Amino acid sequence: MSSVAEPPVLPATRRSIPWLRIFVVVFLVILLIGSITTDGFYSVANARAILNSAAIVGILAVGATAIVVAGQLFSLSLGVTVAVCAMLFLSLLGYGMVPAILGTLLFGFLIVGVQGYAVGRFGANPIIITIAAGALLEGAVTWVSGGVSVYPSAEASSYAWLAAPLFGIPFPVFVFIAVVILGELCLRGTVFGRQLYLMGGNPKAARAAALPISRLSFGAFAVAGIAAGIAGILLGAFNQSGTLTTTGTLTYDAIAAVLVGGSAVTGGRGSVLRSAGGAVLIAAIADMLLLRGFSPPIQMLVLGLVVACVVLLNQANRGGK
Amino acid sequence: MGATLSAPVRTRRPGSGDRWPLIFLAVMLLLLLAVPTLLGGTAPVFSVFNAAQSFAGLGLVALALGLTMIIGEFDLSVVGTYALGGMLAVKFGAENPFLGALIAVVGCALFGAIQGLAIAKLRVNSMAVTLAGYLVALGAAGTIGDNKSQPFPNFEFTGTFNAPIAGVLSLRSLITLVIFVIAGLLLLRTRAGRDMRAAGGGRRAARTAGVRVDLIVVVTFAASAGLSALGGTIQSYGVATATSNPGLFPLIFAVTACLLGGVALTGGQGTPVGIFAGALGLCFLSQLFTDLASPQFMVSLVTGALLVAVTLAATPALAQWRQRLIYQKDSTDSQTARRDS
Repeated sequence: MSSVAEPPVLPATRRSIPWLRIFVVVFLVILLIGSITTDGFYSVANARAILNSAAIVGILAVGATAIVVAGQLFSLSLGVTVAVCAMLFLSLLGYGMVPAILGTLLFGFLIVGVQGYAVGRFGANPIIITIAAGALLEGAVTWVSGGVSVYPSAEASSYAWLAAPLFGIPFPVFVFIAVVILGELCLRGTVFGRQLYLMGGNPKAARAAALPISRLSFGAFAVAGIAAGIAGILLGAFNQSGTLTTTGTLTYDAIAAVLVGGSAVTGGRGSVLRSAGGAVLIAAIADMLLLRGFSPPIQMLVLGLVVACVVLLNQANRGGK
Repeated sequence: MGATLSAPVRTRRPGSGDRWPLIFLAVMLLLLLAVPTLLGGTAPVFSVFNAAQSFAGLGLVALALGLTMIIGEFDLSVVGTYALGGMLAVKFGAENPFLGALIAVVGCALFGAIQGLAIAKLRVNSMAVTLAGYLVALGAAGTIGDNKSQPFPNFEFTGTFNAPIAGVLSLRSLITLVIFVIAGLLLLRTRAGRDMRAAGGGRRAARTAGVRVDLIVVVTFAASAGLSALGGTIQSYGVATATSNPGLFPLIFAVTACLLGGVALTGGQGTPVGIFAGALGLCFLSQLFTDLASPQFMVSLVTGALLVAVTLAATPALAQWRQRLIYQKDSTDSQTARRDS
């Protein structure tokens, strides 16, 4: 969209004020006071609950970071993909654990990667392509599944360990940490990752440098697809059933985690580590609101306000530099 | 609004290229009338009435999104304000539906103006701002509605609102039609409309030409939120229920309608007439599926496929390819003409 290319214009007097830092300090003070005055927030069990709920969103946020960094905005089909991957994983368990995991990851890789290819090859709008892909996926899966929940067959491999605690910490948390490390290495330590940053930061330069835009776009989305596949496997194992309605606000939570982590919407800036931090922060806020008795819509409202503040102040901060 | 345009600003008045949305509308109407009749189904007039009823709410969401697309932005929060508007109207309009609608439209328009102000002044990507706006509006709708659907108890009003007028219309669909006519006149006959297309066609050139782009952005986002809130209000009054979370369907519908209606994702192009044709044509298509007793997933599949097709057709790569074809055809025609002469 046309507003993206133009630099922010701020009055000179406001440029020197570090609004983002002020917001971060105020926000952390509010969070600290809120958490201290919330019964049961500072407990081992609650810390475990926060990490557990941050794990799924965080894994998805790692994938979403690749898309944002590549300058392809967001994917609005990630939540549906997670739900479909959960259903697929449980369906494939009858063939054994390894085929089920590999099949689910391959599905996520291809189905989201294709969307990235359409975006990179034809210059299609990523938001609209992913909305359309989500609708298509939802329709196709409802057709195939008959609109009912999927349960693993009786001869399915044992998958309980995927949701069970290990050394007292839920298994998805270990997967989350592993995905963050791999994601950070992939984006920072490989040619592919560095090309994604270049493509997102300066698309014209990337084209001039003859970077394979279509393949890079496919790759960024495919990384998100693999992340959706992992999240789907863990979600399916945790719920022991798969249905399209399990997605909830996963897509928005993941995007919010990326934005709260400070990634630039216009691409070229951001990191997996910061997105993971955003996911944990969002999970902590949601947990605190839940403990204080606030309903899910209020959590969504607060999440929206936090995202708005971070996006606006991040932009104002960039304008000041 | 601004000074006379002097810089080259990429805008286009509706011309022969804008006939495709109307052709799409005509084909969909023909299918809706012909197919069920051939299969011995329901009376076509009632199907058109039903489609117009759906169009009443969703059409305004399409118009809301379309206006922001014309100025080169994208308002993801239309689904949130659609839900919030419906919920506010039901909560405050039980005794006086007009008051409820007014609170919904004004409240959401203010919300939209704040988003527009942030986008215009800080030059933030509209998708990021309106994503946050979507979460805030949907959260507010859920909070007001206790996270569940809320009934609208004024059944007398709902009855009057849905009563058929001339067989295929109702007060519900007439309001939307009137708003489309007003929006069409504003965009095509006023300087503000021309400035909107100029702002979407080229932001810098428009500024150079004296267009008050920031004001255009703020007012358009306020109008977008107000219109989608009115769409939610009309829908809630029509079905006597406000939904706290309508899902992504209204957004999918609105994007598809806008693209089918000739609104360009790059901005600067599109008219309310095209959006009207795209939205009503989609409602005819959806009604056709209902008449044929098709399952809901079929509507999802067809809408998704249609959206992919129109999005890809509107991409720069395919647009260049089309231009090349037209250029080659023109060259061949002129060579043939020269040979003949």
